[in-house]
Amino acid sequence: MAEEFSTDGMLDMYLFENEQLLEQLQDRVLEQKDADCFDEDSINEIFRTMHTIKGSSGIMMFDNITAIAHKLEDVFYYLRESHPDNVPHLELVEHVLEVADFISNEMDKIRNGDPVDGDASDIIARLDKFLDMLKNGITVSEGKEAPPENVHVEPKHFYIAPVATKDSRFYKIFITFFPETEMVNVHAYKTVYALKEIAEDLLYSPEDIIADASCAETILKEGFKILLQAQCGEEEIRQIIGIGYDIEKVEVFECKAEEFLQGFDFGDDTMRVIDLDSSVEEIENKAQEASKGNEEAADAKAEKAPEKPKIAPGDFVIKSKDPGKHKTLAKDKPKTEKASFISVNVSKMDQLMDLIGELVIAESVVLQNPDLKVPGLNLARFNKAAAQMSKIATDLQNVIMSMRMVPLTNTFQKMNRIVFDVSRKLGKDIEFEMVGEQTEVDKNIIEHISDPLMHLVRNAVDHGIETNEERIDSGKADKGKVTLSAKTEAGKVWISVEDNGKGLERDKILAKARKQGLLDDGKPESAYTDKEVYQFITLPGFSTNEQITEYSGRGVGMDVVVQNIQAIGGMLDIESVAGMGTIMSLKIPLTLAIVDGIVMETGNSSFVLETGVIKEFVTVKEEMMIHEPNGDEFIMIRGECFPVIRLGRWYGLTEYKEAVEDGTMLILEVEDKKICLFVDRLIGEQEIVVKPIPSYIKKVKGLSGCTQLGDGSIALILDAGGLID
Amino acid sequence: MSETSELRKRAAEANASNEHDTTKGKYMTFKSGNEYFGLKIQYVNEIIQFQAITAIPETEDYIKGLINLRGKVIPVIDVRLRFKQQPFEYNDRTCIIVINVKSTVVGLIVEKIAEVVEIKDENILPPPSIGRMDRAQQKYVYGIGKVGDSVKLLLDPDKLLNDEDLSVAEQANDMILDEE
Repeated sequence: MAEEFSTDGMLDMYLFENEQLLEQLQDRVLEQKDADCFDEDSINEIFRTMHTIKGSSGIMMFDNITAIAHKLEDVFYYLRESHPDNVPHLELVEHVLEVADFISNEMDKIRNGDPVDGDASDIIARLDKFLDMLKNGITVSEGKEAPPENVHVEPKHFYIAPVATKDSRFYKIFITFFPETEMVNVHAYKTVYALKEIAEDLLYSPEDIIADASCAETILKEGFKILLQAQCGEEEIRQIIGIGYDIEKVEVFECKAEEFLQGFDFGDDTMRVIDLDSSVEEIENKAQEASKGNEEAADAKAEKAPEKPKIAPGDFVIKSKDPGKHKTLAKDKPKTEKASFISVNVSKMDQLMDLIGELVIAESVVLQNPDLKVPGLNLARFNKAAAQMSKIATDLQNVIMSMRMVPLTNTFQKMNRIVFDVSRKLGKDIEFEMVGEQTEVDKNIIEHISDPLMHLVRNAVDHGIETNEERIDSGKADKGKVTLSAKTEAGKVWISVEDNGKGLERDKILAKARKQGLLDDGKPESAYTDKEVYQFITLPGFSTNEQITEYSGRGVGMDVVVQNIQAIGGMLDIESVAGMGTIMSLKIPLTLAIVDGIVMETGNSSFVLETGVIKEFVTVKEEMMIHEPNGDEFIMIRGECFPVIRLGRWYGLTEYKEAVEDGTMLILEVEDKKICLFVDRLIGEQEIVVKPIPSYIKKVKGLSGCTQLGDGSIALILDAGGLID
Repeated sequence: MSETSELRKRAAEANASNEHDTTKGKYMTFKSGNEYFGLKIQYVNEIIQFQAITAIPETEDYIKGLINLRGKVIPVIDVRLRFKQQPFEYNDRTCIIVINVKSTVVGLIVEKIAEVVEIKDENILPPPSIGRMDRAQQKYVYGIGKVGDSVKLLLDPDKLLNDEDLSVAEQANDMILDEE
């Protein structure tokens, strides 16, 4: 048996991690696509992401991914080291997305076991060009040389350099506290804080005086050292520091700039033993910066110094080289808090769900066991214990249900991407807004709505919104806008795609419908309601768009959307005002997994109907029935006429009740259509766990699934929509 | 060092041969009509007692419905009806063989479970092209296994479950069987 080096586990890990990284990257990029440039966090983040991907791909020997990640890393390395002005932001965004797409594509190949053969050279060449353009086409600020492309340099801290004017004076301040002072670090900080008022530049040692309480001892023992650059005299400084109950002695020495830059060398031998490694390095950096005479406000520096621990190695602090011009940093936008998650294999969740389902059934088997029905048993204690167990079982069920609920955020983010891509390619200026993306939906449903939603969003961008010129011509001042919103209402999720474009053209649709022979000859065109007219566009092969574009217009799409939505028990509603826009709303059940149902029986079979579709139960008399010669039946209830379906006859069951007086009529309403369903008897209402009918069995009209009842038997779930059709 | 690797090798061999021993060449046999049929044992998940079946309307007659197998809903088919044989009465002793073919789990209702037998490859003959078996049955049988004096018809479970190329005409001819 050969000891093979297995990369399977590693590969899974690699794919999983990189997938997440890419997702985050994309989110971040899209979040900031409308800004003028990336903020410092994002640049660092993108840089790091690419670095990580490059590293792990290198280990896994996916050379093309490594190469492309490396190239993008280079670009961002340049961005963060040289922070050039006038980066064509949108172009950059496109490059990042392009790279992300390429990598995801390659990862898909890896996942499917296909050879990883994508050719990255095209994109790399483009990135090269882009980088060249950045380097040469634009004057790099400060005349600084572009950093070498090799990224493996020591992490550096970049500080905003102080303003060094010729009036500036440099001081070394040495403060000794009384040895009995408590929390001396806080006192030290007070001093620093006071000095900030006048400081152009300020450095002190030890550094972490707030965060690190242990440095109090150091301060007591060795004193507190401050390097100050300011325009005031020595006396002023002494006054600011003041001599209070805590400070024993203040020494202020004026010094030259060079000395200042050398750091904490007080010419005192005892002071030299203090470990000042870190601060010396900083001061050196500072020295370089200071000599360039950057025009940064001094107080910015003063603000920065005490907050220093926030800056991770390798990060840079953005410099505003042009204080007059306000840059739109996306950082101003509200950030959504990320909760902590662990990822769990879905099959494990399903298994857990099944087990809990079984537990519930096992519970009813125990609690309703015939052995307990023996007369004369004292069951008081048993019942108490049983009640406790039932409660826990119910809680368990609720928890697993809530675990399957996932916010729509990810799905919506994907749409953001689509709007961006399509609108860029079509040259339309489109704003995208998301409302209620936190709405939670069962995981299964999310999987089903992603594609339909994509179609709708694409349609809105492509057909809905006019081109920029058309908008100006029709006098629309505002930007094209697509709004994707979600909300929960009445046990359903409503997702709507809204655009402020040209709206649907009733006449065009009607004309097309006539051409395709969809109109009823006897019915005048005006008799069709808007709703009916708009429903035509959901028919296969129906597209009023004259031109087929890359994105839509081939007449497939809307029918697929409707099919997919109906498959999960949802529906599509179209509203439109010509010239104003269109709203496409999806109404989708909150969860597929659990519904409130009414259990009923016909013949020997149990059926379940979703409670929501049942309008009422009525007991009827034979006189109310209308029999047509062809076997169709209708019923008059309170002056309204409903078609009747007898469940027993519909499915060809045996031993069902014939006389309408013996059974119950249910009035069902789906999409404004009402029918009566005749069943033998009602059993009761119950929360049911929906299970699909095994795919081995062909789809039966009017059945949408099956469920287990309390006694372990299986009931079939009726799909009211299917019955009505 | 050499000793351990030697041990490992032997263990591996034992493992490998064990695996072959337990599944290869073994067949679960059952009776349906007058014939005995055999199914490769690796397809068989378990054998369960007959339990209440929820009928599904508008499906083929041989699909009897759904059962609840410890929380899993699985379809069950009646092998006799699948073979176009006369239906039989189910009783307490009727068994359901739960098989798993390419992750489709299906229960087979059979008249009588026989035994697990070992049939060597050399004892398996291709099905005769002309025989007294009717056509529907013949399609599912990929070989005839000889065990002592008796023969078992070896079933291709994939065809048993998924073969749906029964023409409409054939189905019409077989409607007589549809007495349920």
